[in-house]
Amino acid sequence: MTGFDRRSVLKMGGGALAASALLPAYAFGQSTAINYWHTFTSQSEFAGLDEVMKLFAAAHPDITVTQENIPNPEFMAKVTAAVVSGSRPDTTMVASERVADLVAMNGLTDLTDRIASWDRRSDFDDARFKSITVDGKVYGVPAFTFVDWMYYRKDWFDEAGLAPPTTFAEFRDAAIKLTDPAKGRFGFGMRAGAGGQAYVINVMEGFGAKLVQDDGTIGLDRDKAIEAVDWWAGLLTRDGAVPPSAPNDGFRQIMEAFQTGQTAMVWHHTGSFQDNAKLLKPGVEFATAVIPAGPVNKISRLGYAYNTVTNPDTIDAGWEWLKFWGEPDAAIAFLEKTGYFPASTAAAKDERISGNPLYKPAADTLGFGIPAPSFPGSAGWAEGVVLPAFQRVLIKEATPEQAVDEMIDGLAQAIG
Amino acid sequence: MISNTGPAYSPRQRSAFDRYNPLRWIGELSETRYWMYLLLLPSALLICAVVIYPTLYGMQMSFHEMRLNRPGLGNGWVGLKHYQRMVSDPIFWVSLRNTAVWVTSAIALEFLVGLIAALALNRNLPGSKVLAVLILLPYFLPNVVAGHMWALMLDPRLGVINDLLVKIGLLQGYKAWFADPTTAMAAAIVVEAWHSFPFFTLLLLAGLKGIPTDVYKAADIDGAGAFAQLRLITLPMLKTIIAAAVILRVIGLVNSPDLLLILTSGGPGRSTQVLSLYAFQTAYKDFNFGYAGALSVVMFVLLMVFAWAYVRLSKVNED
Repeated sequence: MTGFDRRSVLKMGGGALAASALLPAYAFGQSTAINYWHTFTSQSEFAGLDEVMKLFAAAHPDITVTQENIPNPEFMAKVTAAVVSGSRPDTTMVASERVADLVAMNGLTDLTDRIASWDRRSDFDDARFKSITVDGKVYGVPAFTFVDWMYYRKDWFDEAGLAPPTTFAEFRDAAIKLTDPAKGRFGFGMRAGAGGQAYVINVMEGFGAKLVQDDGTIGLDRDKAIEAVDWWAGLLTRDGAVPPSAPNDGFRQIMEAFQTGQTAMVWHHTGSFQDNAKLLKPGVEFATAVIPAGPVNKISRLGYAYNTVTNPDTIDAGWEWLKFWGEPDAAIAFLEKTGYFPASTAAAKDERISGNPLYKPAADTLGFGIPAPSFPGSAGWAEGVVLPAFQRVLIKEATPEQAVDEMIDGLAQAIG
Repeated sequence: MISNTGPAYSPRQRSAFDRYNPLRWIGELSETRYWMYLLLLPSALLICAVVIYPTLYGMQMSFHEMRLNRPGLGNGWVGLKHYQRMVSDPIFWVSLRNTAVWVTSAIALEFLVGLIAALALNRNLPGSKVLAVLILLPYFLPNVVAGHMWALMLDPRLGVINDLLVKIGLLQGYKAWFADPTTAMAAAIVVEAWHSFPFFTLLLLAGLKGIPTDVYKAADIDGAGAFAQLRLITLPMLKTIIAAAVILRVIGLVNSPDLLLILTSGGPGRSTQVLSLYAFQTAYKDFNFGYAGALSVVMFVLLMVFAWAYVRLSKVNED
């Protein structure tokens, strides 16, 4: 019988240890693992991401992408902590209104040269890169577009003999006419809880109170802003055309109210299309329209979700993942699962999009829509000052004048 | 027979070896009064690294400009600037008042429900053991889960609570609890009390088990009723546990914005804005870590003062 003495066991152990140290380098030498932080929440969004990841894995077997969901309300807190502590994710999805703050804290990697030499750069309008460009440096690639539009109950509008509104005046009129408390119906699902600040700013700009002036200065026209806040809040306080829960209604609440037949109209972006279509029949029970125009400006937002490199150490693999989202097949696969519009002009011209009449309002909005105003401090001001001030008007704790004064003071502090 | 096969040392060599032998050095040190400090050193270093340094760093941050999205402002010393701003900041004062209401009401409710539950469980009725486990379930839920669950249950459209209250005639129509400033804080307090009353139940039950039954028997003989027994025996004998539980819950409630963040985000308006939420939003929405640091220091000082005053006033140390 052959026995092992202590010396031979030690030799074998040492050999195994050396082999195990070399093995990973050999086995994974050709592969890079990167992670991707995003804020997707709905099933359709996850299905879309999964589809893009499958296509990417097939095209790039040498790169492994791990997706990590960061809840939207916690996103900036997590990213800030990651940047400050040096534990950055490799790649991150960043909404346009967050770009200014993240660049200011040195959280994003400059991709100007890579983007300039990218063979698909010409598929994107220059405007798509506006929100991700700071001081001439480009920090990301537009992944998809949030096109703001309106969902409305087509069957209710037909029943009342109303056409979808094209102006704020028509919109208010329709909201009042379609409100029937006896049936538990309200004309409009106002988002004045979490996330509602964006709509307050849009309405103010619709009334002519632009936040960022043409010369780049930041400020609010007090009188126009007051008129806007008064009109917007009046939909609840005077007209009773929105549910009384509006001051606390965030995304979930306004979409549930629309999908369960409690509101006739709701403003949101194209990303809710597929979720609405699961519960209401598209083209029959609900349809889509361009956001009505304000008395002074026609404001509809094009928000871009940008994919960015947050960890420069894995920039090569990260860049492959970022630019893959610009491939038409990936963009359309994502659209079909979620309703999010491609950021690539070439992909948006695809017959699967241009041939669908329900997407026409989104295609029209792409022609005139603009990104939300963004500057360092804008997100904090909007969420921490604009929204509470507007809510105070809704609950009759403040007048529109007081609320706008609060917004102007807060703005001075945010940019001061 | 004993044979010495090891190397032979001369007395001179042995002496040199002994002089530098660390074991001998440690052995000698262990005989002195410094030995206990040496043993404490690793723990002291650890505490400095994870407790003292972050606390001091947070405090010094409050005296500096630190706005992550305004690097041009630098991070220089600004003295008491943030504290001066706080004095004239109306949101701070609203938050301070709301914090007092939030903490006092929630803890009073939690204590009351927790005490009732503990007294009931202490009677050892059939099924008490199963109930004791079931009653802890809310406490096992993370705040985030409890918050979302209650947001749905109190939802004005789909919430089961509105449905029940309307069906039994207590409400005329569905109520948007978190959208009305007169009910938002109260609704949030109910959610908090539901979530955390088991903490009081657990501690009070442990305390109740330690009270000798003879004391109650003697009180019975003296003619003391149930309420008198509660007032004169149970509560005084639970005093230390109540003091510890209240201090722990006050610290927990003052420092945790998560439940309110989920339920109301401080709204509508500022009606549920509390200090911890304001500090969180200042740090992670405005990226103004200097001012957020100052808010945190004020919370820290308030908690220290509260804990000191509470311990003194409740006279727990006199026992």
